[in-house]
Amino acid sequence: MTEAIVTTGLTKDYGSGRGIFGLDLTVNDGEVLGYLGPNGAGKTTTIRLLMGLIHPTRGSGRIFGRDVDKDAVAVKRRVGYCPGELPQFGGWRGTEIVAYVAGLRGDVDDAYVGTLAQRLDLDLGRKYREYSHGNKQKLALVLAFMARPRLLILDEPTSGLDPLHQQAFYALVRDARDGGATVFLSSHVLSEVEHVCDRVGIVRQGKLITVSTLDELVGMRSYRVEIDFADTVPTDRLRAVPGFEHMKVEDHRVTGMLRGNFEPLMAAVAGHRVKGFTSREPSLEEIFLTYYK
Amino acid sequence: MTLLRLALRLQIVGLIATAGIGSISSLVNALGFAQIVGDSPTDRMVFAAQMETLGKQLIYLLPVPSHLDTLAGYLQWRAFGTLGLVYAFWALITATGAARGDEERGHVDMWLSAGVSRARYLAARVVGFSIAAAASLALVVILTFLAAQIAKEPIPLDWIAAEGLSLFALALASYGVGLAVAQLVSTRRGAMGVGGVVLVALYAVAASARVGEPLPLVRLSPFWLHDQNRPLLGGGLDVTATLAMLAVAAVLVVLAVIGFVQRDLGGAIVGSRSSTGHPATLPSRNPLLRSPVLAPLWQQRVWLIGWTIGITLLAVYVVSLAKTMVDTFMSESSVMRVYFERIGLVGYSSFIGIIWFSILSLILSIYVVAQVAAWSADDAEGRLETILSAPVSRTRIVLERLAVLLLGCALVLALASVATYAASTAQSIDIDAQRFGLGTVLILAVVFALGAVGHLVASWRPRVGVLALSAVAVWSYFIQQFAPLFDWPDAVKNTSLYALYGTPMTEVNWPGIATLVGIGIVGTMASLRAMQTRDVGA
Repeated sequence: MTEAIVTTGLTKDYGSGRGIFGLDLTVNDGEVLGYLGPNGAGKTTTIRLLMGLIHPTRGSGRIFGRDVDKDAVAVKRRVGYCPGELPQFGGWRGTEIVAYVAGLRGDVDDAYVGTLAQRLDLDLGRKYREYSHGNKQKLALVLAFMARPRLLILDEPTSGLDPLHQQAFYALVRDARDGGATVFLSSHVLSEVEHVCDRVGIVRQGKLITVSTLDELVGMRSYRVEIDFADTVPTDRLRAVPGFEHMKVEDHRVTGMLRGNFEPLMAAVAGHRVKGFTSREPSLEEIFLTYYK
Repeated sequence: MTLLRLALRLQIVGLIATAGIGSISSLVNALGFAQIVGDSPTDRMVFAAQMETLGKQLIYLLPVPSHLDTLAGYLQWRAFGTLGLVYAFWALITATGAARGDEERGHVDMWLSAGVSRARYLAARVVGFSIAAAASLALVVILTFLAAQIAKEPIPLDWIAAEGLSLFALALASYGVGLAVAQLVSTRRGAMGVGGVVLVALYAVAASARVGEPLPLVRLSPFWLHDQNRPLLGGGLDVTATLAMLAVAAVLVVLAVIGFVQRDLGGAIVGSRSSTGHPATLPSRNPLLRSPVLAPLWQQRVWLIGWTIGITLLAVYVVSLAKTMVDTFMSESSVMRVYFERIGLVGYSSFIGIIWFSILSLILSIYVVAQVAAWSADDAEGRLETILSAPVSRTRIVLERLAVLLLGCALVLALASVATYAASTAQSIDIDAQRFGLGTVLILAVVFALGAVGHLVASWRPRVGVLALSAVAVWSYFIQQFAPLFDWPDAVKNTSLYALYGTPMTEVNWPGIATLVGIGIVGTMASLRAMQTRDVGA
């Protein structure tokens, strides 16, 4: 299997612990890799390094065998990019922005732009400043996808999109992958990457913590559980539930993290009066605290 | 207090720039006064009489001259005569920034969502500007007072302070214009454009009223009201006119607050929609948008047309003054004759060559500064990141920007120069077409040098680029104006980019032109290096 992205000890040190440090990451050609992490973890810094927008303090990155810093122009011929922070184009119309960027790229099929705009339900005839945040995001996606690049680097691409257009975006990513493209997308929402990603990399405080397949991710997936009992809490039975960790008991309330199957937990509470039972997907920070502390 | 502190912080660059321009103008004019008029009462009387004759031709640029045999009268006319425009345009820029620029950046959303009322937001900005304008003018007043002391012709401090107060009232009224206009249009650029037209119109009607009885409505122009104050001539402050300016400011600010409260954020009081009705899904077919260099020029087309019209009108106006000015200054009795001979002005055509090209250099420098501001904004607003996400090298970006700058200037220059030549011919001023054409082309060397230095500063420190380049332009202008007067050595003269350009209508300064091109090349190389090594969007 060939490699689309390879980074070796890639580091950008902004001081005070900010940046990305010693990143060793490989993204295979044709796969979709989700790059997960909380705000300030170093996702955007990594992406800007890959795009050659900022220079590494140490280490190197290669895209399709070319150095991202020294050979940035050749790299970007094969890359489509959606920035995390949307640019300001003021009074330009969407049609003009697309034409301008298409002129810079030189390899854009206008008809495909039309297809993308239709799929994302975007009117290119409006002025940029009149676009809502979601429409600006759609335009950024059109600019990223329009050259049918071999690699898509997308920084929080669903930010501002409503659920309907998030689905349209996932379909675009799947189509791109089916067409042989590689996708590297960052997100801070765990459930989002499950829609489209083959593997997930998790970054925290500037360091890559793990890279897992989606199957492995499901294995490490956990839920935050809260149970309110009407009377006695079956503490011993709950402690014996496999995968139920970080359990705390306060009066008649039990909280904890459940990894894996719910059945043993339900069996443990059976026979006791339960007033309330809630479970929710934990935040990324809670996952990190659970698994990587 | 946080809001006020922020409002004050946003005024620092403008405060420094206006205080610098006002102070330097006062200082060099005060020091140059004795050199120009001489010491004897007879010389001074002759000078005053000649300048007052000439001043009548300049009423669109300067107030009607009076008491020019005294330093106070000279400063009132020469130094403070145009300072009102400087403060008015600073007020316009900062007002449209407060009322529209911050809204476009989303800052206003943030403040309003933090519980700040719209009225309080605008009030904080008005107070912030008032404090900054007062501080800037206080510096100008103090330095003018000191300059007069140094020139050994002291002017009472309360006279100068009264002039400062009048300028303060004018600045506030202009700020009110900017705030009010910004409620009528939905973009900062639109507000700047409309506000600029309104200010120029108010200035023009006031200037036209400098001779003859003004129409009743003209009395509402802040510039006309400011003209009524001439405290350096010993007449004190016209309290009614000053209060009227402050009243105009108050009314406009109140109207702006009402407009701001009434309208939607991001919208204008009178709404407009740009959609054509049918959704567009295909890119524009305009081939210019897909072409390097031409795409940015196309985006700047309205701006370029505006510059061309403005410079052309100014050229025609300056040419129309040529005969009167030359006849006045070159007469046997003129005390200015020596000065004008020293700068090479000996006839009508050399007036065009020296005075017009000198003005043109300064105006094109402002054009360059505006372009440098746009380059810095490309970086701050994420457009540079979008461009660099395409397979475009950083080298290409630098070279393309400079090419756009030179091509844009060449277009403006070409049309303005044709107009200048035609106006000169119409005035029966015989101009050597070949030399005139050469002088026009060579001015691009000034643009190249300034643009390359500007790009270097913008690449290195985007936030200080505009200020640093403006300082270079102001320095170059004053050195060029005053070096011949004081007979400064070449080493000092050549620190001015305009002095290096020289006077090609008389004699081409090839070493100076080569130096300008050299500065341009070195600046470009350094810009390329800075662009390669810097981080974008970090």
